[in-house]
Amino acid sequence: MNAPVIDLRGIAKHYRMGDSDVPALQGIDLAVTRGAFVAVKGPSGSGKSTLLNICGLLDGFDAGSYRLDGEDMSGLDETARTLIRRRRIGFVFQSYNLVPVMTVRENVEYPLILLGMGEDQRIARVAETLALVGLEQLAERRPDHLSGGQRQRVAIARALVKSPALVIADEPTANLDSATATQVIDLMRGLGARHGATFLIATHDDRMTAHCDEVRTLTDGVMQ
Amino acid sequence: MKAQLELLRFAWRNVLRNRRRSLATVIIAALGAAAIMIAGGFALYTYDALREGAAREFGHFTVAHREFFQRDEETPLQYGLENYRKLSAALEKDQRVTRVLPRLNFSGLISNGDKSMVFLGMGADARAEGAARGVFLKLLEGSLFGGDEPGAPRVLLGSALAKSLNAHPGTPLTLLTTTVEGSMNAVDVEVSGIVSTGWPEIDKRLVYAPLPAVQKLLLTDKVSALAVYLEDTAMTPAALADWQARDSIHTFKPWWEQAFYYQSVRALYNRIFGLLGIIIAVLVFFSVANTLSMAVVERTREIGTLRALGALPGEIVAGFAREGGLIGVLGVVIGMALAGLTTALLLGLDVQMPPPPGRSEGYPLKVYADPTIYAVAASVIVVLCIVAAWFVSRKASRKTIVEALGHV
Ligand SMILES: Nc1ncnc2c1ncn2[C@@H]1O[C@H](COP(=O)(O)OP(=O)(O)OP(=O)(O)O)[C@@H](O)[C@H]1O
Ligand SMILES: [Mg+2]
Repeated sequence: MNAPVIDLRGIAKHYRMGDSDVPALQGIDLAVTRGAFVAVKGPSGSGKSTLLNICGLLDGFDAGSYRLDGEDMSGLDETARTLIRRRRIGFVFQSYNLVPVMTVRENVEYPLILLGMGEDQRIARVAETLALVGLEQLAERRPDHLSGGQRQRVAIARALVKSPALVIADEPTANLDSATATQVIDLMRGLGARHGATFLIATHDDRMTAHCDEVRTLTDGVMQ
Repeated sequence: MKAQLELLRFAWRNVLRNRRRSLATVIIAALGAAAIMIAGGFALYTYDALREGAAREFGHFTVAHREFFQRDEETPLQYGLENYRKLSAALEKDQRVTRVLPRLNFSGLISNGDKSMVFLGMGADARAEGAARGVFLKLLEGSLFGGDEPGAPRVLLGSALAKSLNAHPGTPLTLLTTTVEGSMNAVDVEVSGIVSTGWPEIDKRLVYAPLPAVQKLLLTDKVSALAVYLEDTAMTPAALADWQARDSIHTFKPWWEQAFYYQSVRALYNRIFGLLGIIIAVLVFFSVANTLSMAVVERTREIGTLRALGALPGEIVAGFAREGGLIGVLGVVIGMALAGLTTALLLGLDVQMPPPPGRSEGYPLKVYADPTIYAVAASVIVVLCIVAAWFVSRKASRKTIVEALGHV
């Protein structure tokens, strides 16, 4: 009855490099239950990012099936995938990817503007989320006036402000020092739990895996 | 509504992101807009000046015998107007009519005793002609004559004709012409004044003589036609239509059907300024496209991020279109100021243009500040900027997200 948020069956993906095919994922099966905090680890080039891009609907796959929240994701066009991302998927990137011309508050507000949310509701949501990540004091700053840890907290707020079903985080702590990384991990867990969001995280970081409900390992495109 | 405003604010900040580059683009848009507005204003002014010149020369419309414009006369005044005084009186009752000038065209030889020249003459009241034509008939020497003065008939000569006859006010001359009956007749006249129409070809042959004297010389009571002057050139079509409906015996011909110079200059200028406008538009388009395409490349990763967050390609393009629009609006505002300043400056300064082809007189350089031209130029520039933005961001907005995110 509690359908998995992510349900991958036999997912395969290869990249074309000139004349040769590079297999990146080979028959991945993965089920992630609602609210879980799941890490994917593995050596560089093992296919972590490829897997997360597929789960985040940023990229397609060659074989297998993907059900998000019970809904079949194969054969969707780019517009349909965009609208699903907009509503149901949040992203946290390794290098934050904040929009430099927007203030902290505006960066967090942007996903709600895309959703067409009314102004009053938007303002309330943004204020609430910024308070949860402890950035209400810095709301009017531009990202380039923030430290790495602060930026990643803005990114987490931006990912969670719309209460997404799924948050995709590709190496979210790779650019952070140890203490900051721990803060960021705690924050993701805390906010995730609050919003009932499911996390899929790619990482090399053992501090990260230590906090996860489940850790899966990828090697050469094969899930252990 | 508020969200749209917010998106516009982001676009504005993006414009300010590379100030020098944006400023250069705004300046190009401004100069383009100003150039179109100034060129258009100058063309309108020129058309206006030429229109007034033509209307002053021919009268706002000409009333003539039905065959006058259709056929060549076999004898002088074969298709002249007989009872023109009655017709003239009727026309003068029209509120819009300020003047009705009878004109008698004739030709022949003019001689100073040593030398004869071919002339194209007009029997008319020189004072009334001078008053009607204003600055378009310039008195260089002597004075104008009235309608019916005692003594030897006094004539006005075109400046070039006067020069080749070595004539000055007071010089006695003889006019020789053919009468309506086909015989030759001559009259001794005295030069009253020397005039210039601004057309060297006309000034070489022009003779104005008092109408009664010319009628006597040609042995006729007729005139060639009546030139009708109205209060305002803009009244011509309506007045013309009224009279055409009222009087089917005569031909009423408006100035524009006689003003070939006006028509051909207008056609030429329309082509020149049209081409100029297209060139400016292309320059502005490519300049804005160039600036924004640099911005698009620099922001590839940002585009990927926004797409990942759920922005549709169209929304990415709309963002760049807002930037293009802002650059355009800013450029157009500055361009309007430049064009307006040019108009004001030319009103204050008296800058003279060299004479146009076929003429001897220059004319003052003025530029109209015309709301229609301003509006059209402004919208064209802004639309071009938006289209340029759409054009350069369309492809980047559809690039695969993974690729865009990997872009450094
Ligand atoms: N755009 C691409 N074109 C060709 N090959 C690619 C492309 N992206 C990834 N690959 C290849 O696919 C495989 C998996 O790459 P992926 O980026 O998913 O690994 P990863 O586990 O995320 O590595 P890292 O830890 O370095 O981020 C690698 O062999 C990589 O070289
Ligand atoms: Mg990776």
